[in-house]
Amino acid sequence: MSETLLSLRGLRVWFPVGDRLFGPKRQLHAVEGVDLDVRAGEALGIVGESGCGKSTLARAVLQLVRPTSGSVVWMGRPLEGMTAAELRPLRRDLQIVFQDPLASLDPRMTVGEIVAEPLRVHRPGLDRAARRSEVAGMLERVGLSVDVINRYPHEFSGGQCQRIGIARAMILKPKLLICDEPVSALDVSIQAQIINLLKDLQRDFGMTILFVSHNLAVVRRLCDRVLVLYLGRTMELAPTEQLYARPLHPYTRGLLAAVPVPDPDIQPARLGAALEGELPSPLSPPSGCVFRTRCAHAIALCADVAPAFAEADDSARRVACHRWREIEPA
Amino acid sequence: MQSREPILEIDALSVSFETPDGVINAVNDFTLSVHAGECIGVVGESGAGKSQSFLAVMGLLASNATVRGSARLQGRELIGLRGRELNELRGVKLSMIFQDPMTSLTPHIEVGEQIAESLIRHHGTSSAAARARALELLRQVHVSDAERRLDQYPHELSGGMRQRVMIAVALACDPLMLIADEPTTALDVTIQAQILQLLAELKRGKGMAMTLITHDLGVVAGVADRVAVMYGGRIVELGSVRSVLKAPRHPYTRALLRSMPRVDEPADRPLLAITGQPPNPRRLPPGCAFHPRCEHASARCRSERPTLVDGPHSAVACHHPVEGDAR
Repeated sequence: MSETLLSLRGLRVWFPVGDRLFGPKRQLHAVEGVDLDVRAGEALGIVGESGCGKSTLARAVLQLVRPTSGSVVWMGRPLEGMTAAELRPLRRDLQIVFQDPLASLDPRMTVGEIVAEPLRVHRPGLDRAARRSEVAGMLERVGLSVDVINRYPHEFSGGQCQRIGIARAMILKPKLLICDEPVSALDVSIQAQIINLLKDLQRDFGMTILFVSHNLAVVRRLCDRVLVLYLGRTMELAPTEQLYARPLHPYTRGLLAAVPVPDPDIQPARLGAALEGELPSPLSPPSGCVFRTRCAHAIALCADVAPAFAEADDSARRVACHRWREIEPA
Repeated sequence: MQSREPILEIDALSVSFETPDGVINAVNDFTLSVHAGECIGVVGESGAGKSQSFLAVMGLLASNATVRGSARLQGRELIGLRGRELNELRGVKLSMIFQDPMTSLTPHIEVGEQIAESLIRHHGTSSAAARARALELLRQVHVSDAERRLDQYPHELSGGMRQRVMIAVALACDPLMLIADEPTTALDVTIQAQILQLLAELKRGKGMAMTLITHDLGVVAGVADRVAVMYGGRIVELGSVRSVLKAPRHPYTRALLRSMPRVDEPADRPLLAITGQPPNPRRLPPGCAFHPRCEHASARCRSERPTLVDGPHSAVACHHPVEGDAR
């Protein structure tokens, strides 16, 4: 097994929410006790619906939001308590690609300046010519021609802007690339281009990927392992093909069944199996297992005791469910 | 299903917009009929013209739009209708729901009143009877705790619940036809499945004609009977949901299916991306609008625009239609 690049232990991110003028401040538990080891070179998918904490988790790894408690250990070094100045050199190895490709690019900078900026910050010794050649090389690598260097982001389509964002993130050859819904804003015919590009880049550069997405079809394409979150808690972790072929947690099963497939022989029956109910308010999550209010298999125990995120079958899989053994379909 | 007169008959509909940068031809020569109890899926990427065609039918286009052609609801021409005549049909015989329920519902009016409003206005229903009907409609669209919801405001409801309320508003007067424009795009996937299931149920139960506009071929697979695929402002393929999705004949439909990752399929099939990007409606390529991205394109495709021609399973607008299985 390859080395652990990143470890999360008991990670919590709470946000204070003052919903009444003079009322007490309440805490929204966006991420609630996540344990995770990310291995060097893997692509790990973090999936779940809105409000499950997947983006907050990614931002906490980068310390863009500071965790309330728990630890983020990057290559053996705990990040909590580090100052911005102490974090800066580490950021060279930790890069991110955002969902909205145009909004994440400065409209007043040329494409060349945007992609060169991380080099200016992290490799100030590089001279102009060397910087330009690095930028040109990376632009070509992501499928853009070098003559885009002097143009501005608004001149490009969504897919091209996402390529520019990827070039900016990859220019420092980071050890970890966090992708936060990188294809969700793109047209269907463009999504595959970006998925294939990310796969090729990972093959060539060997970076580790944290792929945050609500799109389970895309995650199956790109990731080696998948972590399923619900209301800030970990529900299931498994190697991708095992998770899709045999989901153990009832939420994972419901989530997978809800993704539409373009086949009229299969899809109507999938709709019939849709999960019932809605996401509870994250400000007052259910007791015990947070998924129990939508779970067809919930029993009294599920309301009383939160299930541990425990090893299932073998050490490669984890699941947080009291009943996964009994309820598994034959 | 095809035996009776269609509910909606759209014939050679075109929509263009006058802009400071020139004319945009958003929809060209759009011909389509929808029958009672039938759901037509209209699929395309951004700028394909799928929403503009039906906004034209609803008389909801921006003021710089020019509409040509015809759209008849049970034989009655809709294009060119104005003011009161249009309002007698809209929300009564012909309803539309949109992607974002928050901006479509009025924020300062209780949910029950918004559903009752069209009943009172169009059918002269008493307010007590309209409230009772609103409650019945909320139950029909599976809003939990319906009685309490009647007096709530849209912001107090979840996104999925708001979309259900919007469907209840649209159904209040028992329309002949419901047009749903990306009704689940803003929703989480488990809620999307619930809303799609509801639409399928309403189509079966009420015998209503339905149009489901979406960018997602998976969404139409569960609900639609027929599918129209749009590209560059035109229908490029039209046929039963089975023939279009299982044996697509237009290279665009086929390429789209091959480029889509599927949740029920391991990663061993290569994902065949479509090169380039959807055309800008301001500068549509000559000939077939798909030719710059098409692997089958010939000289003819670059100069001569193919028309929609009926085939054994589907109608297709292509000089070189493909045959065989989707993969």
